[in-house]
Amino acid sequence: MTPVLETEGLGKRYGRQQALTNCTLNIPAGRIVGLVGPNGAGKSTLLGLACGLITPTSGSIKVLDARPGACAAQLAKVGFVAQDTPVYAGLSVADHLRLGAKLNPRWDQQLAQGRIRQLGLDPTQKAGRLSGGQRAQLALTLAAAKGSELLLLDEPVASLDPLARRAFLQSLMEFVAELEVSVVLSSHLLADLERVCDYLIVLASGRVQLADEVDDLLATHYRLTVGRGELESLPTGIDVVTAEHSARQSTAVVRATGPIPSSIAGADQLDLEDLVLAYMTRAANDAAGNTVPAGSLAVHP
Amino acid sequence: MIWLTWRQFRTQAWVVLAALAALTLYLVILGLSIRHSYNTGVVGCQATDSCSNATYQFTRHYNTQVSLVGLLLILTPALIGAFWGAPLITRELETGTYRLVWNQSMTRTRWLSVKLAVTVLATLAVTGVLSLLLTWAASPYDRLRGQRFATADFDSRNLVPLGYAVFAFLLGTAIGLLIRRTLPAMALTLAVFALAQIVIPATIRPHLMAPVEQTVSFTAETMSQSSHFGISAGGHDNHPPAASSPLSLGGYTIPGAWMLTSESPLLKADGQPATVGLTENCRNGSPAQTAACLATQKLRFTVSYQPSSRYWPFQWIETSAYLVLAALLAGFCFWRLPRIG
Repeated sequence: MTPVLETEGLGKRYGRQQALTNCTLNIPAGRIVGLVGPNGAGKSTLLGLACGLITPTSGSIKVLDARPGACAAQLAKVGFVAQDTPVYAGLSVADHLRLGAKLNPRWDQQLAQGRIRQLGLDPTQKAGRLSGGQRAQLALTLAAAKGSELLLLDEPVASLDPLARRAFLQSLMEFVAELEVSVVLSSHLLADLERVCDYLIVLASGRVQLADEVDDLLATHYRLTVGRGELESLPTGIDVVTAEHSARQSTAVVRATGPIPSSIAGADQLDLEDLVLAYMTRAANDAAGNTVPAGSLAVHP
Repeated sequence: MIWLTWRQFRTQAWVVLAALAALTLYLVILGLSIRHSYNTGVVGCQATDSCSNATYQFTRHYNTQVSLVGLLLILTPALIGAFWGAPLITRELETGTYRLVWNQSMTRTRWLSVKLAVTVLATLAVTGVLSLLLTWAASPYDRLRGQRFATADFDSRNLVPLGYAVFAFLLGTAIGLLIRRTLPAMALTLAVFALAQIVIPATIRPHLMAPVEQTVSFTAETMSQSSHFGISAGGHDNHPPAASSPLSLGGYTIPGAWMLTSESPLLKADGQPATVGLTENCRNGSPAQTAACLATQKLRFTVSYQPSSRYWPFQWIETSAYLVLAALLAGFCFWRLPRIG
């Protein structure tokens, strides 16, 4: 099966600033992919590259086996909800549906109207007067009814209150299950995505820190608590992600390709949040030349 | 996409249409009024002596109205460039809606071509209607004045307003695409277009075709076709000009032609400059007698001009040139747009 997103050494530079560096990914179809990273990590750049709004400065990218934005047929295959969910303020909700119908040959008017009714949106209302949550729902409806195979959502819930956030993700899950599309959605908060995604990409400092199935990640990562100095003598196949040292002990997050040998006593399972935090900590340390203490990272609310 | 373009353009279109309807009504009334005055005041005069007075009264009466509408026609392309051209792309960039519309199942190139086509058609319609109406309404007035090449008249009649308007629209679009912010793009569009409208009529238009050089012999008749006869240097109120000061003739006009020479030195039969000394013998008497006296001296002068028959070639050349520039700007937009981001 062809991957939905395939990149090779992908990079994007704005003037002197490198927004994305050497990004290599291969995401299989049918996943709900969480794209997590701190603000400015390059999430929007990666999604912009995937939908064809942004052209790469290095490397290559293929979405559903073609260059993003290359032609109308390719654009039809990819739905995109941009950050801050832009809509035409002067056009009504019904006008937006008409726009979708006119500009997309695979438009599903029934789905669109059904969603608008379900959400309780007034079709005659101007989009500029909608609340943030309603606007996000309208933008999602446009992307969903487009009939695409891949949906890209850039921070779709960032501007929503917790209740609207839950409602948005709930309705996303409903039609994803119904339409059998692949989804990539980004957030700077893992908590937003944890419950919905089955594939995770961690992006920090413009680089991919981690990209894998959530189940595999959980199965291969552990927190080890060992005596000081024992980390240096771990068997092959166990790689340290981050480590903290006290006078007597070392605590480390490790990735193990096989089972942890019974000789190591203190191995605990990690939850996804700690796992992501470990990779972000490592990225921040690398970027700052190991001078930033892990606790100063503002990854969680 | 045509629907979306129209939907976004609709409000403006209605406003413009309302203004256009009002102007149409006004110009029809003006045109009828001009025809009425012309038929009763000027046509009947031709046998009598009061003709020049009737002509003067007629042109003076309509001068303000015709000039104001002419000014409006010169302004229209500038406004189209600033209000339709500049925001065409920048508004989408500024509100972020480009991220919505460029991700529908349609390439940016197609998006732009529909937007440009619809707006260019609207531009042609608005300018075309205005130009047609003004050209019709003012035609008796224009014929009587015989100054079709005057910058304000040339710029606001017949074909050229169409060329200006399409050019201004694409200029606005291209500038918008370059600097990506609406207000600066509008300001720059107005500035560039105004500069073109000032510089081109003064520097390029006179040379669209090689001017005709004509040597005219100085007679009483040529004198009557000139606005003044004078001494080009050396004369002051209290110090009479020296006998060696050269003479010149200014404001010689050929009906309907565009005179490029405003003042020509008078030459004697042998090609030497005519000087004040020559006129000594002709000083006394009425201006007509002076002219008749001077005419016996076999003086001549040279003027350069664009003949009246070149009016339509000039209209066509300038319109085409502006349309070619507009096409180049459109080409730039089509080249640049897919490379944004």
